[in-house]
Amino acid sequence: MTETLPVIYSITESEIDLNDLLARITLASTGAAAIFTGMVRGITSRGGAHETEYLEYESYIPMAESKMKQVADEIREKWPVVEGIAIVQRIGRLHPKTPTVLIACTAAHRDTGVFEAARYGIDRLKEIVPVWKKEVGPDGQEWVEGNYIPKPGE
Amino acid sequence: MNKIKILFFATIRDRAGTKSMELDISADMTIAQLKDKLGADHPNLKESMKSVLITINREYAFDEAVVPPNAEIALFPPVSGG
Repeated sequence: MTETLPVIYSITESEIDLNDLLARITLASTGAAAIFTGMVRGITSRGGAHETEYLEYESYIPMAESKMKQVADEIREKWPVVEGIAIVQRIGRLHPKTPTVLIACTAAHRDTGVFEAARYGIDRLKEIVPVWKKEVGPDGQEWVEGNYIPKPGE
Repeated sequence: MNKIKILFFATIRDRAGTKSMELDISADMTIAQLKDKLGADHPNLKESMKSVLITINREYAFDEAVVPPNAEIALFPPVSGG
């Protein structure tokens, strides 16, 4: 392999540019990318049905970026075939249909575990990367709290 | 005495009423003792101290850890990004 393996991790207040990120983790040797993106859901029916006007995200940015790098390192350890990795979380006030997070992994082929790697990335982000969101809707506002308690070494 | 900086996020910041504070603590204070002190000094935070996540210098920390000099401590609820 002649190119260095690209890794992108960032907290941003700007729009997530999928095409730019994908280009930056595409190499001559990659033929597959698995991309997960999450967006603000305006109408929730699963669990407690409700409507959302917007989400207000905040982050402990320096720690969040360091934990995103850790997630990328974990992906590389579990899926050495993964070549490029991008992990981006947008913060600020975000309205329904707006992409809020992106995890993308590239590899030579689609059957290399690249889908599982991207899935692992978003699951881990939701466990250890310090970002929180406050949900604002017609009935008021409420902080969304996760339920994962990190263990020593995480 | 050790001088430390404490950052608060999300629900914990709302209850603390501030984003950050500086504190002088004894040199051998543990995270468990720091939680007790914050709960005692700031009654609004007392209930939160049971489930709060704490970091020392941007790494997750646990009750028995001793707070080092000039530490950047952060307190926050379980994360909810994505």
